[in-house]
Amino acid sequence: MRQEDTLTYDSVAARPLPKWLTDQKTGINTSQPPKIVIKKDNSLNISFAVTGIFVLLVVAILTLYIHRKHKNPL
Amino acid sequence: MLGMISLACSTRVSEWVLLNASPEKYTLICYDNSPMSDAAKKQNSILTDNFKLANLNVSRVLKEDIKQPYYALFYKNRLLEKFNNYEDIKHIATSPMREKIADELLGGKLCVMLYLKTGDDVKDKNRLLILQNAIKNSPFKDIISIVELDRKNRAETHFTSLLLNVEDDLKNINEPMLFGIFGKFKALEPLLAGGISEENINLMIKFLIAECSCLIKDDLPGTDILYSGIWENPKPALLNKMIDLNPSLGK
Repeated sequence: MRQEDTLTYDSVAARPLPKWLTDQKTGINTSQPPKIVIKKDNSLNISFAVTGIFVLLVVAILTLYIHRKHKNPL
Repeated sequence: MLGMISLACSTRVSEWVLLNASPEKYTLICYDNSPMSDAAKKQNSILTDNFKLANLNVSRVLKEDIKQPYYALFYKNRLLEKFNNYEDIKHIATSPMREKIADELLGGKLCVMLYLKTGDDVKDKNRLLILQNAIKNSPFKDIISIVELDRKNRAETHFTSLLLNVEDDLKNINEPMLFGIFGKFKALEPLLAGGISEENINLMIKFLIAECSCLIKDDLPGTDILYSGIWENPKPALLNKMIDLNPSLGK
């Protein structure tokens, strides 16, 4: 039993409509949540690539730095 | 998980309720004024056995200040009816019409439209004609059953009383009523008198064929009717077959 459907009224004609019917008339029942679309997640690959490039860059800079440092004293 | 969610949202309301929603349980309390005798124990055990398939819990309460034992039927903590003896409640959860309706629902029908008559021929015929025409003109006519019930039908006294308890003022209204019954014997709040129009009947059908939104699932309308039966292995919904053949019907 739904309390909201059983309000006081003067005649049968004035009796409130069932909630499911008013919802149906206003279209509330038919509104669907937005469909979830799964996007391809590349964040892990990007993270690996960025880390790899960073490591290679650091190794290259350090190699150059050490190479120059050992070259100069001679 | 996402797959399950998308599947649940594409299921139609009528099928989702039949497959997933458990009927709300009624409570039958036997108020007794003396400790249980052997005969009472036996009767209680028969009662529990008889109703084991029904959406009904049976319990016993000792109440010394009452003159004689009685039974009380509750739905969601609301007292629906009192009964003075065991004979009165024997068939509370079964009746020929309830069995017929359950068979239709298990057979894959979208719903059963139960037309509760008043006994006044003029009133009854007028609205029944509107109902019959609405169904005749509906593309879903083959998967909807119409059942007529006379309020004075003695074999269906309990069923009539349960229907008139779907809302608390229905007992006082002597007008034809149209209940949409679906799922595991869920009755929608009825259309009555002038509300039984072709437009409203079509809206009822639209509600039942709609894709089951989370809004509907969270606030499912209707009242579960007391019924003793097995709801396992229902036949595939006939609606799905219709929509597969003609997808525009499902929109």
